[in-house]
Amino acid sequence: MLKKKSSLGRQKIPIEKIPKKSHLQVTFSKRRSGLFKKASELCTLCGVEIAIVVFSPADKAFSFGHPEVESIVDRYLSRNLPQESSALQLVEAHRNANVRDLNAQLTQLLNHLTIEKKQGEEIDHVRKARQMQNWWENPIEELGLNELVQLKVSIDDLKKNIGKIASKCMMEQSNMFPPNIGANGFGRYNNFENKQGVGINIASTLPNAYNYLDFRHGYL
Amino acid sequence: MTRKKVKLAYILNDSARKATFKKRKKGLMKKVSELSTLCGIDACAIIYSPYDLQPEVWPSSIGVQRVLSKFRRMPELEQSKKMVNQESFLKQRIQKAKDQLTKQRKDNREKEMTQLMFQYLSSDKTMQNISMLDLNEMAWLIDQYLKDINRRVEKLSKNGQGQSQMVAPTMVTNAVAKIEDSGQGSHGCHVLDMNMDAMHKQHWFMNLMNNSGGDEAPPPLGDVNQQNGFWPNPFFP
Repeated sequence: MLKKKSSLGRQKIPIEKIPKKSHLQVTFSKRRSGLFKKASELCTLCGVEIAIVVFSPADKAFSFGHPEVESIVDRYLSRNLPQESSALQLVEAHRNANVRDLNAQLTQLLNHLTIEKKQGEEIDHVRKARQMQNWWENPIEELGLNELVQLKVSIDDLKKNIGKIASKCMMEQSNMFPPNIGANGFGRYNNFENKQGVGINIASTLPNAYNYLDFRHGYL
Repeated sequence: MTRKKVKLAYILNDSARKATFKKRKKGLMKKVSELSTLCGIDACAIIYSPYDLQPEVWPSSIGVQRVLSKFRRMPELEQSKKMVNQESFLKQRIQKAKDQLTKQRKDNREKEMTQLMFQYLSSDKTMQNISMLDLNEMAWLIDQYLKDINRRVEKLSKNGQGQSQMVAPTMVTNAVAKIEDSGQGSHGCHVLDMNMDAMHKQHWFMNLMNNSGGDEAPPPLGDVNQQNGFWPNPFFP
């Protein structure tokens, strides 16, 4: 199965000024971010103090510092010895604790992201397989006029059926519940959950502009 | 080089910590250097460690002075605009990850609902157990899909294109369909070999009716043919 590449991946490039301006800008962005990440890791792992200052191709100043850019730069320029005080150490300890938490939070998020991405790939995979059997599941752009018309008829029909089910639900609901019900009026309908396929029954992430009541009135 | 996953925490073992420091410091300096060369920009790095009285710097003592002077010459606002420390940097990354996660979840949800829609279409699944929430989304999705179809149909009609760009190997037409709409060209006469299994799947109407409770008789074929000439013949059992 041909896998469409979303990016070129890791490629070896010569270390000399990048000729193409757009490429240069992207590279700066990515590498700067990666550089700060490495610096942050070094600070956490080895307990050292760092400052990095870089200028973008547009001459904007980006800086990373641990504990702070300012203090490191001042210290370097004036050749001062580091200031140690119990107050500062306390602040430092508190900060490090924060950083630990933030790192943990970030790691967790990135793990979730990886999982979701994999899930997306799975779904794509299944869809591609289905498209081999069912021509109507192919992207709309790939269908011809007569196919589109046929598809439209079927989907219109599906729409009608959904409307019927919606009104059936609504009727059953109004029959079963007196007007003033508790907070979760849908409580008794948990067994209405879609048991097949779509495992997620979370709040809709699609635009929730659709009240199926309106839908029903519009189309039945 | 070992590719063990390192836990992001202060390394307690002294020698391990020192070794890690040496390696990573070297790598960091290399990265700064590459960034500077690749993008043709000014940069500097300063590292204070317990292993050395003097800070380690890149590119050089003079180079650092130069860059820092340039930095300090800027108005305070410009200096601090893109200034981060560990905390703020991590918060930025966290926000970005959150946004990506939300988007990915949204995309996955939409993909799954689309899949479900197609499953209903070919009656791989029934609509009996759908939840209220899913119902809403499905209705919306169906409408969007119809919009897209209509848009595309309009576009194709405008270009005078009626040709099938895809072979639909299992659609059957009994007779040459009479094309009612404005001379779209010759494409009505596919008489193709049937594939029984696939045909069963394509009895959309029949199946949909059954799934919604079988309340209604299948539409008389006259209805269907009104849409357009090319509906498959009555191959319903």
